[in-house]
Amino acid sequence: MTTVSLTINGRAVTAEAEPRMHLADFIRETQTLTGTHLGCEHGVCGACTVLVDGVPVRSCITYAVACSGASVTTVEGLDDDEIGKELRAAFTREHALQCGYCTPGMLMSARDLVVRAPDADEHAIRVAMSGNLCRCTGYVGIVRAIQSVIADRRARGIAAVPGAGRTALGPAGSGHGEAIAARVAAPAVTAAVVSREPAAVSESLADWQPQTRFARSFVVNHAVDAVWDFFADTGAVAVCLPGASVSGDTSARNVAGKMRIKVGPITAEFHGAAEIDRDPLTKSGTIQGSGRDRRSSSATRGVIRYRLLPQGDGATEVELDVGYRLTGPLAQFSRSDLVNDIASRLIAAFAQNVEARLSGTAATAPAAELNAGRLFFSVLAERIKTRLSHLFGRRDG
Amino acid sequence: MKPVRFDYARPADLAAAVALGGRGDAVVKFIAGGQSLGPMLNLRLVQPDLLVDITAIAELKRVDQTADALILGSCITHADIEDGRVPDVTGGAMRAVAAGIAYRAVRNRGTVGGSLAHADPSADWISALSALGAQAIVHGARGERRIAVESLMTGVFESGLEPGELLTGVEILRLSPSARWGYYKHCRKTGELAHAIGAYLDDPERGVCRAVIGATGTRPLVFGDAAALFGGGAPGGAIDRGFAERAMAAHGMADAIEQQIHFACLRRAVAQAHRA
Repeated sequence: MTTVSLTINGRAVTAEAEPRMHLADFIRETQTLTGTHLGCEHGVCGACTVLVDGVPVRSCITYAVACSGASVTTVEGLDDDEIGKELRAAFTREHALQCGYCTPGMLMSARDLVVRAPDADEHAIRVAMSGNLCRCTGYVGIVRAIQSVIADRRARGIAAVPGAGRTALGPAGSGHGEAIAARVAAPAVTAAVVSREPAAVSESLADWQPQTRFARSFVVNHAVDAVWDFFADTGAVAVCLPGASVSGDTSARNVAGKMRIKVGPITAEFHGAAEIDRDPLTKSGTIQGSGRDRRSSSATRGVIRYRLLPQGDGATEVELDVGYRLTGPLAQFSRSDLVNDIASRLIAAFAQNVEARLSGTAATAPAAELNAGRLFFSVLAERIKTRLSHLFGRRDG
Repeated sequence: MKPVRFDYARPADLAAAVALGGRGDAVVKFIAGGQSLGPMLNLRLVQPDLLVDITAIAELKRVDQTADALILGSCITHADIEDGRVPDVTGGAMRAVAAGIAYRAVRNRGTVGGSLAHADPSADWISALSALGAQAIVHGARGERRIAVESLMTGVFESGLEPGELLTGVEILRLSPSARWGYYKHCRKTGELAHAIGAYLDDPERGVCRAVIGATGTRPLVFGDAAALFGGGAPGGAIDRGFAERAMAAHGMADAIEQQIHFACLRRAVAQAHRA
């Protein structure tokens, strides 16, 4: 716990808060000021907007401790505010709300806009308010209400204030608090994930549709038969895939394993099972698997189809068709273009490791997790031929 | 939607921050405005042991101006740039880019250094500052070094910063009065992260002509000599589409629709620069 002191609606308050408590929870839970609403809680919807040091801030992605000493204004603080009064009257007149959930955030963003906007241009208002989502009104009433307040104030000779008069530099709310030292002892290391017995992958693929599909191919400088034999040993294959490992009988049709992925600050460790089918006639195979990352409660299910094609010069082209579905917070966050880059990097590293193993130049230690910055992407870039890359269902960031 | 428990430190000076960043006994993350990291923390995609808030370090809010360059501390916010609270050496280019980032509430806390270090391919500064030829200033246990912004990002969310290194500022070279600038980004919803970005700078007085295709899903595609884009013609003329497409394909952008959208952004950025 840390003691957080700041000013809310002109009143100095002090309360104990964990460092992870965001400003919205601090306002609501420790001060019972429940006018500030939480919608998405990851900075998309704008419902939690409050003023910090006089300018709007998303209180769900701003930690209370980071605002030590700052001056916060919530919707309750607009009770006697002149612009607040004008906005409430305009919202009422224009039917600018229905359920009211977004309204506190709308009022805070609108107040800032009324202070700063040079005129009541509808397009500019829509752009400026685009970070506040309303699912009831269709925005027409909200925009009209804000337009009327701006137009009225400018007509009364009240000029716009650029930047809402802010003079300090840096993130709003920062720069007031004392230095805080880290605790002397090393923080507790996050508890190790306990591996559970993985569920069998028994569902039929017949009616399963992946959310995202992509195809890639790479060339290995070894004959088809050698590559085919190598692919029979799941354990050896897993060693080549950065972050992957399997346990138990690695020549069996069903294997259990895990896959650890590190992308910048994000780490995920999927524990799961896979079922492998191979067709020696067509030198092709299917790997279907599912796994769960218990830290983020995300789950994935996917199918990799591969086919080995002999090249003229004794080399083998490995064609991959990957389809997967991701659910949970990782899916909520992920954007398919980012997945493409990660997949490319994984496959590049995999191809390089397979080549090294088949040439007998690689150690048998498992490849470390994917760490893009350290991958020698360029070595293989020419050999990796991107055949197809579909962009499906990209999400807001 | 609550982050995992983490410890929090707010050092008052750079040396203390770098020392904390270099701790090997814990997962340490630097945080400035937290407008990109915050959502990841709330979704528990990032689970640090220690969060080091760098916004109390006065040095990181510094603004230094020389005859030919501007240095902005990494904790300068998008709104600081948008509102002109810091000087501009780019003829308004940076102010316009800043004004188009996300939403005002995000711009009031999001910082230029945080955006670069976070290395999201779809963010604005990584593309815009690559086109402007800016340098990132980085401090670590071994002192200060500089990395060209165009080579800072190595992949999605991955930068060339070593563990424990802190991005402390960016240096932006002053554009000539005759420099032309264009920036166009494609978003389906206003304020969301870009699907495609085109950025273009033509500054013949300094012998600089640069272009960037950004929001590629990985590092931005930088044309250090953008004159080559015009197929032998004068900069600002018709872009050699085949040349741009080959460059995009070599950059891993194979999809025809993706290429088309990115090409259109670049074309509009060039048109914007040469319109006046």
